[in-house]
Amino acid sequence: MKFVSLGLTALLAAASGAASAQSSSGLPTPFSVIGNVPVLCTAGTLTEDNGVFAVGVLVDLSTGLLRHDLSAPPKVLHGTFCTSRSTITIEATALIAQASTGTPPAGFSNSVDFTAKAEGWTPSPAVFTTSAATNPNAVQTRDTGFTGDITVSIGDFTTVGGPGLRLVEDPLYQGAVVVTLAAAN
Amino acid sequence: MTLRLLLLLGAGALPAAAGAQVAPVTRSVPVTASAPPVCAIREPIVAAGGQINFRGLNGNTLQIDHLVDPHTLAAAAASVNITFDAVCNYPHRLILEAQNNGLWQTSQRPPDAPPGFAYAVPYTATIDWGVEHGRLEADAKVRRIADRSILVDHPTSGEITIRLEIDAGASNTQANAPLLAGSYGDTLRITLEPQ
Repeated sequence: MKFVSLGLTALLAAASGAASAQSSSGLPTPFSVIGNVPVLCTAGTLTEDNGVFAVGVLVDLSTGLLRHDLSAPPKVLHGTFCTSRSTITIEATALIAQASTGTPPAGFSNSVDFTAKAEGWTPSPAVFTTSAATNPNAVQTRDTGFTGDITVSIGDFTTVGGPGLRLVEDPLYQGAVVVTLAAAN
Repeated sequence: MTLRLLLLLGAGALPAAAGAQVAPVTRSVPVTASAPPVCAIREPIVAAGGQINFRGLNGNTLQIDHLVDPHTLAAAAASVNITFDAVCNYPHRLILEAQNNGLWQTSQRPPDAPPGFAYAVPYTATIDWGVEHGRLEADAKVRRIADRSILVDHPTSGEITIRLEIDAGASNTQANAPLLAGSYGDTLRITLEPQ
């Protein structure tokens, strides 16, 4: 606080000094052009398939078990940028049957875990596995500003409770993937 | 004084800008899928234990070793447990259907049975499916379709177990009646279907 008072005093003195110099010499008055770039991040736009990971039919119709060939096309966040150091965070929630709630019968499961990955922003992708107790790789930091695309993908589907469990019938299993970009200090 | 105020305003604007910087931006992408209704049954196998007078499975055919007691010519006791790996991931119905309601002669034109002889053999089929149980009495009194339907109000997976039993002396006429010569058989059909 004390330091501020001193600064103000010095600035006032300089201003009056400049005024007197102008009136006495007629030299052009120097002025400053200043600007700043705020620390800013945008997550870009999502252009594929209405922004939904449509996994399709989860089960092998001859066994009722989870299919081994499940996939969904990756999503791309186009035009993403951060003007400074940033962190990318990915989180996901498991696919859960929306109608068949409650404890599933013996031999059945009503949810499916998966792994979500966000690549292209940091040297190592941000990865989140819904079955994991902790996800230390879910947050990645980039030390410089950047602009580019982030590719978000999902895979490695597993039945909650074990691979021997069948999935209860349900027309809608739903989960989510959330990608967050934040300026880092 | 004016300058001082401006400087203070400027100083106040910096934290505000910093606040805008920190606000994270997010994109949420739903993940959707479905699990359609599925019922499936695998091929049968003979369960260990409890197999009496049955040779076992040949494909989908269960062969009885000796249908009659060679001394009395009355039906010999026989039993077997067969299992099917199965699953239904929604509430459903199990139907066990015996095409002939007993073991009847398989020839298209069997001879007329003389008095005192049996010409069909009754049997029972006991079903276990999850927590549900049922019993089909194929009494061989009339050659017709006999069935037993079980409503299962929950998804079930595991084994369907069917125990087939022929009592010693079983007959469609009187107990212990000698059985007319011929080849006997029935066809059992197991169906899992929507309720």
